[in-house]
Amino acid sequence: MSDATLIILLSTLTTGLMLGVIFSLVAVGVTIIYGSIWMPNAANGQFFLLASLFVWSATVSFGLHPAFAALLVIGASVPLSYLLEATLVRRFYDVPNRNISYFVLTLGITQILAGIFSITYGVWSDQFQIPPIVAGVTMIGPFPIANNRLAAMLIAGALLAALFALLRYHKYGRALRAVFQNRDAAALRGVDVRGIYRMSFVLGNAVVFAGGVLFACAYSFDLTVAWTMAITAFAIMIIGGPGSVLGALVIGIVFGFTQAIVSIFASPTVAAFSYLGAMLVILLFKPSGLFAR
Amino acid sequence: MIDRILASRQSQLALFALLAFAVPLLLSGNRYFAFIAGITLVHVLWASGMNLLYGYTGLMPLMFAGIAGISSYLVVGLTSIGWSFWLAMPVGALAASLVGVVLGLPALRLKGFYFTLCSLVIQTVITLAFVYFVNLTNGDTGISQIPLPTLPGGASLHGLPYDLVLAALAVIGVFVLIRLVDSGFGRRLIAVREDDELAETLGIGVTRQKLTAFFVGSLYAGIGGAFYTPYVGFISPRSFDVLISLNVWLMVAFGGRGTIWGPVIGAVLLAPVPFLLQDYYMIKDVVYGLLIIGVIVLLPAGIVGGLVRRPKPDPEIVPATVGEGAR
Repeated sequence: MSDATLIILLSTLTTGLMLGVIFSLVAVGVTIIYGSIWMPNAANGQFFLLASLFVWSATVSFGLHPAFAALLVIGASVPLSYLLEATLVRRFYDVPNRNISYFVLTLGITQILAGIFSITYGVWSDQFQIPPIVAGVTMIGPFPIANNRLAAMLIAGALLAALFALLRYHKYGRALRAVFQNRDAAALRGVDVRGIYRMSFVLGNAVVFAGGVLFACAYSFDLTVAWTMAITAFAIMIIGGPGSVLGALVIGIVFGFTQAIVSIFASPTVAAFSYLGAMLVILLFKPSGLFAR
Repeated sequence: MIDRILASRQSQLALFALLAFAVPLLLSGNRYFAFIAGITLVHVLWASGMNLLYGYTGLMPLMFAGIAGISSYLVVGLTSIGWSFWLAMPVGALAASLVGVVLGLPALRLKGFYFTLCSLVIQTVITLAFVYFVNLTNGDTGISQIPLPTLPGGASLHGLPYDLVLAALAVIGVFVLIRLVDSGFGRRLIAVREDDELAETLGIGVTRQKLTAFFVGSLYAGIGGAFYTPYVGFISPRSFDVLISLNVWLMVAFGGRGTIWGPVIGAVLLAPVPFLLQDYYMIKDVVYGLLIIGVIVLLPAGIVGGLVRRPKPDPEIVPATVGEGAR
């Protein structure tokens, strides 16, 4: 194999893996919230962008170290989620067919945040880039990869593994899965259902924020990433099966590689068309998704 | 006395017709205000079509603006190759209805959130297509200087006569909606909205009702789109994106879904908002977003639904159970 093909191969592989872990992370955050509260968070893309933009502000405008800024922003998602939960989300916990109310509600939040971003950040710049957390370049054979991107990829992978372990083995994770499956039975067994709802809202958003922060560390971005991410995360959730963390993980990685491969020959619009098409097919013929429990 | 007169739908319609024709006449001295009135009348038509689908059939079609856009682009394309507007308009509107029926097919399998998500995906695909097929739509740049419809004798339809045509369309749209809702078709739709499985067992052809609703609702979208285009003179993919669908939905939900006059009032109150905010157009999205949240949280039945019908006590709270996710 010549060096040129090897470089293309390795580049596709790393891009695919990088996008894949980010997609998985966001989709896991969205699916945790949908699986427990039954809330399709259409604003996930705006939350993702909010995290990216905050890290950008903290590093570029306030001169914080990017690693510190990243932790600060992920931490900031917690009080933000509590506030949203107490003011808006909690009202609908007992409403039948609440998923459509939540969907419209989060579309409203999307519109507000998109409006605010275009007034504020949209005026400042078109492209946002964050100074690297780690400097230098690693060579994989003939292919150079920025240490910064490699670090973001490893952190995202570690976060996914930790989440998976949390949901599978920890007491909270077991309670969460019990509420996923049967809210009443879980309540009878002494699970604090509302507490679990609140926890999963906070956890899910923190994961989406982490996705945004890591994406901002690895790539430069613009305001349109919110809309693309929202659609991608929803497509992954629907195809993987709403509420299925494993589904979000697997399909997220698949989507990452799809995007990396499609981008070699065609525009990202074609990748978007293919996600939307796949999502429509699954919605129509297997709405419970490929990894339904 | 006045109460009793206003109680009948005929007199309500007569009052609406009076207002719809009088307002453009009264505002004819100021072209800008008359233009706002004209745009509002198009939105009355759109909100009535959306109301048939969302209010009476219980489906929330977020691809509504996309369907209007298909008619609009088709009319522009056909008039640019020499067709008369009066020939292109029915063709565009009919094409929009047929597309609407096809895009409504998922409604036969999906309900509630899943249908709405599906329609959002379809709307996104339509918007991407408007941007992508540059040679037909001129992409993101949009098409400007769209010619006005010509009248017999060579004059073009503009100014006050155009406003009055839009008023007539809005009145006809509401009139047709009243007739539909009061007919057996309307009652069957409501049965489908309340419980489509029960409706099916009662011998109602659910498929036919839903697809007919999509045909008629999309016809409203298409006719509105066809007349909106030369009136404004400029279209781009942003003129028919998901935010426009949401705005029309908001007019229906804010006014009161499933009532004749709620969506009309919603359109009259909300369609002028972007013009009033012209100097602060940046915050338009924020205002609409806040209104959406306000309606969902505070006014789920809308203004008319909340005030006219005494609020009923909350329906029995059904706890979430297994299998909820599969619906």
